Amino acid sequence: MTALAAARRKTRQSVKIIDRIADSVITIGGLSVIVAVIGIVAFLISVAIPLFTGGEASLRRDARLAVPPGRAVATFMDDHKILAVVLEEGGRLRAFHVATGTEIAVPTLDFGGRRLTSFGQSSMGDGIAFGFADGSVTVGRLRFGTVVLPTDQVPAGLRDLGERALSDGRSVYVQIDSAQVRKIEVDVDFDAPQPIAEDGSPIVALGYRIAGTVERPSRVLATVDGRGVVRLSRAESRRNILTGQTTTRVETSRFPDLPAALTVADVLLTESADQIYVADTTGIVHRFDSRDFTKPVLAESIDLFPGPENLTVIDFLIGEQSIVAGGSQGSVDVYARLQRADAKTVDGYQMIRIHRLEPHAGAVRHLQPSHRGKAFLTADENGAVWFRHSTSQQVLVKLEVAPEPRDVSALALSPRDDGAVALAIDGRYRAWDMNVPHPETTWASIFGHVWYEGYSEPSYTWQSSSGTDSFEPKFSLIPLMFGTFKATLYSLLFAVPIALLGAIYTSEFVHHRVRAVVKPTMEMMASLPSVVLGFIAALVLAPWVENWIAAILLVFVVLPVSLVAAAYAWQLIPQHYALRLQNIPKFSLMFVVVIAAFWIAFALGQVFEALFFAGDLRAWLDGKVGSPVPFLVLLGLPVALAITLTIFDRVAAERFAAALKARPRFQAALLDLGRWLAILAASVVLSVVIAWMLTAIGVDARNGLVGTYVQRNTLIVGFAMGFAVVPIIYTIAEDSLNAVPPHLRAASLACGATPWQTATSVILPTAMSGVFAAIMVGMGRAVGETMIVVMAAGNTPLLDWNVFNGLRALSANIAVELPEAVKDSTLFRMLFLAALVLFVMTFAINTGSEIIRQRFRRRAAQL
Amino acid sequence: MDTVPIARDDNPTDRTPAQSASSLRATALSAYGEPYLWGLGGALALGVLMIVGLLFLVFWNGIATFYPKPIAEIRLTDGATIIAGEPIRSELYRPAADERGRMSPEAQRAMDAADGHANRTLYRIGNYDLYNEDFSWVSDHTVASVAHPADYHFVERLEWGPLIGRIKTATLSGQSRSAADLDRAVLDQAHDRARARWARIRELERDGIGAINHELEAERLHVRKVALTDGEGSSEHRRATDELATRSVELQAQYQRLVGEANALKAENARNEIVFADVTGREIKVPLAGIVRMYPANALNVFQAIGVYLSRWWEFLSDEPREANTEGGVLPAIFGTFAMTLLLVVAVTPFGVITALYLREYAKQGRLVAAVRISVNNLAGVPSIVYGVFGLGFFAYLVGGSIDAWFFQERLPSPTFGTGGLLWSSLTLAILTVPVVIVASEEALAAVPLSVREGSLACGASKWQTIRRVVLPQAMPGIMTGVILAMARGAGEVAPLMLVGVVKLAPELPIDGIFPFLHLERSFMHLGFHIYDVGFQSRNSEAGKPMVFVTTLLLITLVASMNAFAIVVRNRLKKRFAGAQF
Repeated sequence: MTALAAARRKTRQSVKIIDRIADSVITIGGLSVIVAVIGIVAFLISVAIPLFTGGEASLRRDARLAVPPGRAVATFMDDHKILAVVLEEGGRLRAFHVATGTEIAVPTLDFGGRRLTSFGQSSMGDGIAFGFADGSVTVGRLRFGTVVLPTDQVPAGLRDLGERALSDGRSVYVQIDSAQVRKIEVDVDFDAPQPIAEDGSPIVALGYRIAGTVERPSRVLATVDGRGVVRLSRAESRRNILTGQTTTRVETSRFPDLPAALTVADVLLTESADQIYVADTTGIVHRFDSRDFTKPVLAESIDLFPGPENLTVIDFLIGEQSIVAGGSQGSVDVYARLQRADAKTVDGYQMIRIHRLEPHAGAVRHLQPSHRGKAFLTADENGAVWFRHSTSQQVLVKLEVAPEPRDVSALALSPRDDGAVALAIDGRYRAWDMNVPHPETTWASIFGHVWYEGYSEPSYTWQSSSGTDSFEPKFSLIPLMFGTFKATLYSLLFAVPIALLGAIYTSEFVHHRVRAVVKPTMEMMASLPSVVLGFIAALVLAPWVENWIAAILLVFVVLPVSLVAAAYAWQLIPQHYALRLQNIPKFSLMFVVVIAAFWIAFALGQVFEALFFAGDLRAWLDGKVGSPVPFLVLLGLPVALAITLTIFDRVAAERFAAALKARPRFQAALLDLGRWLAILAASVVLSVVIAWMLTAIGVDARNGLVGTYVQRNTLIVGFAMGFAVVPIIYTIAEDSLNAVPPHLRAASLACGATPWQTATSVILPTAMSGVFAAIMVGMGRAVGETMIVVMAAGNTPLLDWNVFNGLRALSANIAVELPEAVKDSTLFRMLFLAALVLFVMTFAINTGSEIIRQRFRRRAAQL
Repeated sequence: MDTVPIARDDNPTDRTPAQSASSLRATALSAYGEPYLWGLGGALALGVLMIVGLLFLVFWNGIATFYPKPIAEIRLTDGATIIAGEPIRSELYRPAADERGRMSPEAQRAMDAADGHANRTLYRIGNYDLYNEDFSWVSDHTVASVAHPADYHFVERLEWGPLIGRIKTATLSGQSRSAADLDRAVLDQAHDRARARWARIRELERDGIGAINHELEAERLHVRKVALTDGEGSSEHRRATDELATRSVELQAQYQRLVGEANALKAENARNEIVFADVTGREIKVPLAGIVRMYPANALNVFQAIGVYLSRWWEFLSDEPREANTEGGVLPAIFGTFAMTLLLVVAVTPFGVITALYLREYAKQGRLVAAVRISVNNLAGVPSIVYGVFGLGFFAYLVGGSIDAWFFQERLPSPTFGTGGLLWSSLTLAILTVPVVIVASEEALAAVPLSVREGSLACGASKWQTIRRVVLPQAMPGIMTGVILAMARGAGEVAPLMLVGVVKLAPELPIDGIFPFLHLERSFMHLGFHIYDVGFQSRNSEAGKPMVFVTTLLLITLVASMNAFAIVVRNRLKKRFAGAQF
């Protein structure tokens, strides 16, 4: 006893320490699996979350200008948010350093005594235009001259403004880092004014655009004079390369007269000068179609605010497809010019309100569209400044100007959408830094209908990139989720019957030697790389199926029919032969029948195509030839078969069973064959009737289930992914069928049940949950399968049930687009969200299957 | 009367009156569910046929690809056109109406007899530099005559894909000879020498000049690093700059020497070239060093053909790809696949085994363990692409980005670890495959009888000692199986790798002679991605198809042999430990 105790005491310290270390390492290691799962989800969420947060703003400066500016006609801000420039109503230009509120000298605009009455600004570049009370206009440029200098080149004797900025009164020098300084100043110049209105009436509204190339710019001006006359002027400048002189040619065309008593609020024109919008303060917008420069026509007049509300501000969003209008009661609506069949306009287009955005509490006073996207800044009479996005309809940031007076006199948005400045009428101003990384995404825009610019109606669209600048990315996950769903559905439709039926046969009816070969073969298939399946599907299967599509459709009919026919033929064999050939020969015969069925289908493919699809399936699918009836007959066949079988069971099953009993085996088998043929014939007749009736009420499968044939289509994906899924479902289902306790099987057989009765009434019900779990696991695999869909699905993000069309699944979309996505861009985060959605989908499916499987295990254990 | 013996066969104990016998018979017919049985069996047969068909397709195409095919010279019925090429495959197609109009009456009749189908054959005509296409379809009805002249050569070139034509003249070491007095053996020797020179040039350019560039770059980075740590203009910085200057002079001299050697070899190669004439007599000049392999396709005997076949396989397994991966070998991809898989094993084994140990040996079977199990199952079911996304965001951008910011500041903004690479790929696939190892290891641990453990503990061993000395060795077969299965799964995955480090063409292998020899941050090539890339991203998927089939065969063989190996290991070790019960 003591010896033992002593021995125990003698356990070396190192052993204990190692044991303790092993303890903790292993426990931590084990728990780290949970951490890993949670960590993956948490990481995906953390990347995706910023998509749903609108944006943030921080007050950068709250200060006062020494001399309060007048009301602004226009505002400008440079890329680095250093200077803000305000063009006052009187035509005076003011600039100040945003960070400190120090006024900076800018060139005075000398219009030679003319009074400024209107102003226009080009959408891109630095073009500006002025309209005067004497009916003349002029164009010019306003630029921020920016240079980066080494610190030692900064002149001495500058005034220190604070905030690391120096100034000589005209320019501002801002420290970038220890070695560099950015110098910035405002440059303005303009040409000599040119008369536009012949009678000298004032230009009350002005739209200005620059199009063409840099070498040969084409400037377009739309003007409205005091008498409501609209004119479009086109100035083309050509620079002589030799002399360096520029010659300008101006053409003006006069528009059809507008109704009198028009108080013009603004005039907008597109860059290509094909559309001119003249907006009245009551909200009526007259749209001119000036594609023919010499003969402009009034295309449409529409009241943007049909009620008592007046129009206060109106402007294009970038791309010039949408127009934002703000009203005197705070409405902010977005209109787009859309082609409509029922448009009551001259050119077939109509202005349609595509978004109603959250209204302001008071009249909208200012509107500043972004230079980068579909976002814009609005300010109302109560001093609320909102940064919002048109397509996603959300208010990204809500800002507030200084308390009393809240009257905003000028509002500026930085070119990079990262800052805003609002001036109050008393000279106080606030400057904000904004960070709005993902203005275009909200829950609603990702999962809901969104009305995009240029679309005739709201839609679910995924289109992440394009060649043009004014392009708006469209991030709806719905088409991708639909693609995943469609691919999964069709692959399961293909795989589940093969896998389950095969598993039941393997587990219950097949010779054990066959099983010993077949099962490992199937298991081996499960590890076949999916890239191989994808390659085979896309480069071998797809062209082949395209050639033989009619025959392949026919296989779906011929194969079951020939198998059942073979079964009835087998029944005719005298029983002692049948028993002798029970195992491997019978199974081999099934192979022969399957191969023969394929052979028949391929031999009859031509005839089938001629009979059912007017001889050309592709043309039939396009809807060019043939009637929809024959295909509906095919579709209706299984339904009709089910109906006739049910009817037969209800009406004649008993009598028929008695009749069978009364006869010897061979006669009974013949009778059974006759019954089957009769039922088959009856169902064909029934299905023809159903097809006729459906066609009579206008049903045509070509509008939904089938349609135009694309080489890489859902059918191919279904086949290939079925290939990937069959081994999984097969293995798990077979395992669970096999796991049914053998005593149940033995008891059933001992009671005199046939193997078929045992399988259907004892084994299958017991193993049902396991079988179901197998399908779920297969589904999980199909949902996440990537390479097959990337390669074989054509990758078109469509919402379309057509089996012969392509699809784009979530997984394929990630694989295709993520390598190109810029880190932390909206697309990047959207793809992380897509991954998260995939994770959640498979998580749900797997957890479900796991729960079902555990229930099965418990039940099997109880038995 | 003849029904009686059947009944006896059916059930020998059936000696009851006729009434009951016939009842049994009748029940038996529908109770056997014969039509349903055939449905079940047919499904199984279909499944097996599908699999066998697929494997056969891959094997047949993969095995046959490299065997040299004869070159057919085809004269078309229009009299003017003559083409030469390897027949690739034939198929039925449906000629358009205007094509039918151009057919001869017999051909029209044959077409009508075949339900409007006609046969056509795809020929690989090569000579892309002349024709701007590699392949040409020839409809059978347009063929006037087919010949197989013995003097056609199939030439695999370094550029422009294969060439099919006759040798017109050959210039060997500056001496021009016509095809007639060209000794085949002399030509072959000259070709071998030219290829040897070409290989030497490549070695000089890659290893010699590459090493110099690498060293120069390392020096430059060192200077930048010193500038970042000690500041520009500091004494250390100046010293480093001086060092760089002296070192680059030395390296420049070395560089000149290597370039000189290479240029001499190039000049010698320029004096060896062959002028081929295509089927229409147009000339194509090919430098001898630019010819990988050439053979007179119609004059080969079986042994020579097998020789070509084997040499192509050897090139495939041991060389680098060329022609946008559609020709040459896949050595870098094999290498990348292996390197990634090995790293994956190194990462996955400890985690998998530790988790399994925790689940089996340490944790109390309760809620926590249930949670871990559910986590493991969910990890196994998460789509692989999600791991790819996670790997890219977490490993490459977050972890890799931080590593770059701390240790490789001098290389920024070009990322070192902050982008996809071998290490991140392996780790991503390790998470992907860890459930496989956990499940297999757990099963293996569970199979170790409790009595063994109790015996060890009773002898005074500590828990860890028991696990290390008794449990783990017995569970080893199962664990090994799990690891090998994980390898097989990892080797076949492509989707996540596309995001975390696989590239279509990696200029440098992840292992080379430059310190630290194993470059974990480098991107790599992978067999699975190679299949995707060649089949889908290349200029001409038809030209890449043979390559894809061979690569597919290789990948399947690799994965299947790993799986088979796992099964063998499991069985063998199972037997070894079968008697280890107390």
